[in-house]
Amino acid sequence: MFRKSANRRVIVSRPAGLHARPCLAIATTVRRFQSKVTIRCRRDTVDASDVLQLMSLAAGQGTELVLLASGPDAEEAVEALAQLFVNDFGLPDE
Amino acid sequence: MLQQVELAGGKVTRNGADRSNVQVYVNPDANERKYLCETLKLDEHTLASALDPDEQARVEIEPEHIAIIFKRPKNYSSEDEFVFRITSAGLFLFADKLIVVLSEESPLFEGKQFAKVASLQDLVLRLINSSISHFVGHLRVINAVSESLEDQINASMHNKYLLNLFSLEKSLVYYLNAISSNGRLIERLKHAAPKIGFSPENLELIDDLTIENSQCYEQASIYSNILASMMDARVSIVSNNLNWLIKTLTIITIAIMLPTLVVSIFSMNVDFPGRQHPWMFWAILFLAAASVGLVRVIWWWKKW
Repeated sequence: MFRKSANRRVIVSRPAGLHARPCLAIATTVRRFQSKVTIRCRRDTVDASDVLQLMSLAAGQGTELVLLASGPDAEEAVEALAQLFVNDFGLPDE
Repeated sequence: MLQQVELAGGKVTRNGADRSNVQVYVNPDANERKYLCETLKLDEHTLASALDPDEQARVEIEPEHIAIIFKRPKNYSSEDEFVFRITSAGLFLFADKLIVVLSEESPLFEGKQFAKVASLQDLVLRLINSSISHFVGHLRVINAVSESLEDQINASMHNKYLLNLFSLEKSLVYYLNAISSNGRLIERLKHAAPKIGFSPENLELIDDLTIENSQCYEQASIYSNILASMMDARVSIVSNNLNWLIKTLTIITIAIMLPTLVVSIFSMNVDFPGRQHPWMFWAILFLAAASVGLVRVIWWWKKW
């Protein structure tokens, strides 16, 4: 299958940072796509479908993250993740 | 730290005004505590309870206000090492205002459920509702984390992931206690509805809260039981993984030991027949290699 890659920079805007529930929202979103998605934070790169690895990033408010996807639906996966950051992960509160 | 929030026209908005009808005190300092206790006549012990994570949820009816202490999940940070903790929050409902006391900063009034709030009593119930939603969200995270840890344990020989699972198990016990405590609080709110001034719509919301909280409790209970019952099996898996490693190392040791024995026998400083034979060096090498083959054959025959 034709492989594509995409990347996007996003900023963590939530005051509490990228903690438990946002991490789950990211992992759940990534699992909907076939592409392999990773997130780079500072020098660490983690698998975006693994909550455990995402939580280990400890990305606080204002941290810049790079979303990297490769696979047949890479662009869609990155777009969906970026929307998640824009929509505050669809969480009602912290 | 004081945050002023205004409830007007059914909407909750942040406000810089001094006398807004919702005041949020985050980890109040000595002056703020003095103001709360002396001017607003809050009970010092109840105020301390709002900041104490170990306090039980409860409602206290005072002459001038209603004090409600409820449990909330503490925001998880990476330093918590998979222990999801609980914190308390205090709501002090007066006739014309609501004082919220929190131990840590938390954006309380975000989300759809705060888009249309009828009264301060309604706001109290919605804050408790948001706490239940927060618990449910964290329970989903705990479930996802435990699944991820299980995958790691299946290939692991370290205790690290087991210890993480123990932390999750401990968190669920905290959560069960807190959710059950919130359940008792909701019951008490229902019984004290006339004194608090809940409307019929508020009572319907309380019924919803009771159901949601009990569902949340059941969910936490199921996760806790699953984690506890599978823990022994996971300990065995790690132990078994370690056994496999020891077995592999033993094979390597035995496979090296036999050719070493053969070569060392012929290395003894004594005369033996055929020592000077031109092919003796290759014969010893062949015997050493054959001993490795012998180990392999026995291994295969015994199906180790």
